[in-house]
Amino acid sequence: MDVGASEADLPAMADAGPMSLHMPLAARVQAYAGALAMVAVSTLVGMWIAPRWGTAPVDMIYLPAVLAAAALWGIGPGLLAGIAAALAYNFFFTTPVHTFRMDRVTDVVTVVVLLAVALVTSRLAGGIRHQARLAAAHAARNATIAGFAGRLLSCSTEEQIAETACEELHRVFDCNAMVVSGLPEPHVIAAVPAGNRLTPSDVAAAALTLESGESAGRATPRIQPAEWQFHPVRSSGSVIAATGLARDDGRPPVDDDQRPLLTNLLDQVALALERARADDDRREVTSLRERDRLRSALLSSVGHDLRTPLTGIIGAAAELRHEGGNDSALVATIESEAGKLERYISNLLDMARIEAGAVKLKTEPVDLIDVVSAALKDLRGGLSNREVSVDLPDDLPLVRADPQLLHHCLINLIDNAARHSAGEGNIHIAGTASRGEVRVTVEDEGPGLPQDQERSLDAFTRIEGSDRKGGAGLGLAIVKAFAEAMGAKVTASNRRNERGAAFSLLFPKSLIVKAAEPANAG
Amino acid sequence: MPARSAKILVVDDEPQIRTLLKATLFRAGYSVVEASNAREAINAKGIDKPDLVLLDLGLPDRDGLELVTALKAEPRSALIVLSARDQTEQKVAALDLGADDYVTKPFDTEELLARVRASLRQRLASESERQVVEARNVAIDLLARIVRRDGSEVHVTPKEWDLLEELAKHPGRVLTHDTLLRSVWGPAHAGQTEYLRVAIRALRQKLEEQPSQPKLIINEPGVGYRLIAD
Repeated sequence: MDVGASEADLPAMADAGPMSLHMPLAARVQAYAGALAMVAVSTLVGMWIAPRWGTAPVDMIYLPAVLAAAALWGIGPGLLAGIAAALAYNFFFTTPVHTFRMDRVTDVVTVVVLLAVALVTSRLAGGIRHQARLAAAHAARNATIAGFAGRLLSCSTEEQIAETACEELHRVFDCNAMVVSGLPEPHVIAAVPAGNRLTPSDVAAAALTLESGESAGRATPRIQPAEWQFHPVRSSGSVIAATGLARDDGRPPVDDDQRPLLTNLLDQVALALERARADDDRREVTSLRERDRLRSALLSSVGHDLRTPLTGIIGAAAELRHEGGNDSALVATIESEAGKLERYISNLLDMARIEAGAVKLKTEPVDLIDVVSAALKDLRGGLSNREVSVDLPDDLPLVRADPQLLHHCLINLIDNAARHSAGEGNIHIAGTASRGEVRVTVEDEGPGLPQDQERSLDAFTRIEGSDRKGGAGLGLAIVKAFAEAMGAKVTASNRRNERGAAFSLLFPKSLIVKAAEPANAG
Repeated sequence: MPARSAKILVVDDEPQIRTLLKATLFRAGYSVVEASNAREAINAKGIDKPDLVLLDLGLPDRDGLELVTALKAEPRSALIVLSARDQTEQKVAALDLGADDYVTKPFDTEELLARVRASLRQRLASESERQVVEARNVAIDLLARIVRRDGSEVHVTPKEWDLLEELAKHPGRVLTHDTLLRSVWGPAHAGQTEYLRVAIRALRQKLEEQPSQPKLIINEPGVGYRLIAD
């Protein structure tokens, strides 16, 4: 931020000379009188010197008086002192004495020198004084800005910043102040004095400033009927708030020469607001992250706690099956139901991972034959007596996918088909490649999908209340999320010539691994 | 089955899982030692000298992978890790650290026993090299470097043979993608999974009854391949 000011910024605080119109009359009279008094004193000293050592040194006696008058009071009194000194010297000390006639050239030179000294000294002193005033004004302004910034620094919320800003603006410019924000209906965040109300014109002016980033309201070219004058508070190119200033007597709240200071102060407000917002964002992100972490930790611990007893149940049921002599139908029920529970738990954990954004992709070229056979093996008991036909051509291209995610997708698609195939309906799994894309389709022999739900999975993927039959929604939602994470698509439709639904995973061209014959390479 | 029953150390912090494993292994004729944490496991390994360790990766007192290294140390014993379904990376890491195989919880006890048999057989086989590995209707003669299907020789390319040989040397055991790529194609090709996929598919064409529903060479998603031997 530029807190230095150019000379033009400070017309009121530093002008060309000390004898400006701003100097009170009494002080001016005093200065001229002082100049004359100094010349009078010099003349008395000269009169004391002349009889003893001659008039030669007397002209030097006047020099300090002229220098002092010019340095102290500027050009007017300086010149007066110069002229008075020249006249006095001429009158009292040059021959013919007690006349203003000058016979000698040296006397003329003395008079001219005295006048020149007055002129030069007053200019020099005036310049120095001007510089000093400029420096003082800069220091005062920097102190104002620094104090303002310092007070804003101790504020942590937007409201505190707005309040402090209003108090400070009120103090610096001696006017009413407020901070507003929000579009299309600007509202007052803080105001000094408190409880200031806005007229419709004020609201319009505030909205215009917030929208356009231009000043508006009283004494500006825009919306002049407003009582308040609004100025934008900008942060990195956008308007984040507006500051309103007004005077009870209706005069413009800031003079033109105060505008640069106001701009600097508003920059400080913008910095503070930006900082507060960044802090808020960071706090929110931290708390969100913490919540996600807790939820993930909770779910994974629940998953572990549920799985351990399930492992016991599934293992024990398998042991019963091998021992024989038990009711094999009952044992099979235990095994298949426990298997379902296992899949629900897996799905819950998968869903938690998806929602927490914790799905990590680890893609590699995958053979769909591997994926389908692994899914069928894992489902085992879950398919009971259903026939599963698999039709994957020998030349089906490899696809780039995450093998684990794809595995879960296939398990859910096959499980979904098993759930919806009527009675002992069969399941058909087929892979096709056409137009550079690869599609794997899982078909069931169930009632199919209602017309309007074709082609879109969204109808099935709502978690709450939309389960067609026990948990299907979650499974399909996972298929969709995992497929999309990998860049594949999921579609739902009815089988063309027969009863039943068909769900497909579609791998676009970009995920197809180009056929190569590297097997015998090297 | 060896002359004396093989001794198996079961390491799991859940008592009900230990009970189940003990019952299953006992039924299959093994003798069983138990440990409920890492410390007990290290002690039991030194004292009981088990032939095989069944290790749960989620022990409370020590990182499971560290324990894999410790338990694989002398005296030699086979090691199978038990892990949850979503711990693929840990499974692969355990295999890389020297575990012979893994079983995913919840497990089918028959599958567990098959893994145990395969890992123990491997350990004995290293003492007396196996010549012919039989799997379903396929016989792989490692000495003659010949593979037969239903008694008649099947022609395989040199790379296909190398791959089949690597799988057949460890019948029933999972070999990671990385292991197979390194030993067949060399370390420079470790990341090139597509080589492996293409070669496996070619082998399936030649050896499987239904290449699209393989029963002989099966895949463990994200981990590796396994030759299911008799």
